[in-house]
Amino acid sequence: MELQASYIQIVALALFTIGLAVTLTRRNVFFVLMGIELALNAVNLSLIGFAKTLPAAASVAGQILPLFTIAVAAAEACVGLAMIILIFKSQESVDIDNYSNMKG
Amino acid sequence: MLALIYFIILGVIAVGSALCVLLSRHPLYGALSLVVSMVSLAGIYGLVGSPFVGVVQIMVYAGAIMMLLTFVIMVLNGARDSKTPMFDKVSLFVFPAILVLAALLAFALISTPLAFNAETLRGSVALTSETLFNTSVEGPGYFLLFEVIGLLLLSAMIAAVLLAKKNLGFKETEEITEVH
Repeated sequence: MELQASYIQIVALALFTIGLAVTLTRRNVFFVLMGIELALNAVNLSLIGFAKTLPAAASVAGQILPLFTIAVAAAEACVGLAMIILIFKSQESVDIDNYSNMKG
Repeated sequence: MLALIYFIILGVIAVGSALCVLLSRHPLYGALSLVVSMVSLAGIYGLVGSPFVGVVQIMVYAGAIMMLLTFVIMVLNGARDSKTPMFDKVSLFVFPAILVLAALLAFALISTPLAFNAETLRGSVALTSETLFNTSVEGPGYFLLFEVIGLLLLSAMIAAVLLAKKNLGFKETEEITEVH
């Protein structure tokens, strides 16, 4: 029994599924953000796992792409949390159903 | 064999703490279990041979992003309305849909032949930086993407400051002059 490439993809799939479930079903807006982060992490793991199945030069490309994904996730979390602070000031609630009236 | 044991331990920790995120009631507990999941993912990155991505994962994800998220949860007191139910009513339909999607993807993954390539390169700091900052014409040109990422982070920072600020600066100065 050795470590197979498909085991990494299975773990990544499990993490992505859980992240999707957290994003779509939880009502607290912080859990929605955390689910998005979890799904992004799973995609990073999948990229690393697929990079290890490629020969030399292509595998380096697959290990650099997650760095950019992490940077984009940092920007997304920054703007998303600022928007949450802004909405929270006017709504006084973390229930995402109360955010459905974003008119002006 | 030893790699498989380490991978199983780290993978069980990662998936288990992700389940804790799904099932915890207080957002702070969810954020802390998410940190555990990210750190064990960094361990998996180091295990399969990209230690630089693992270190960046710990520094940026488990360090910066989760610190920001935890800070905002604590400032806004994110569990204030603990009376609302955890899950939506729609999740009765969402959970089976997600499970069916996962089953289809798992079937596709298992039926695909995947194997580790023996010629793959270890993503050490030296190799990653050489490839990332290779500014020659024949090079892959990742340094352009790197500059674009810098611009994106700068614009995100400015947007966050502008959004989260209560009033813009000149309004406050006008009020102060009116008082005087």
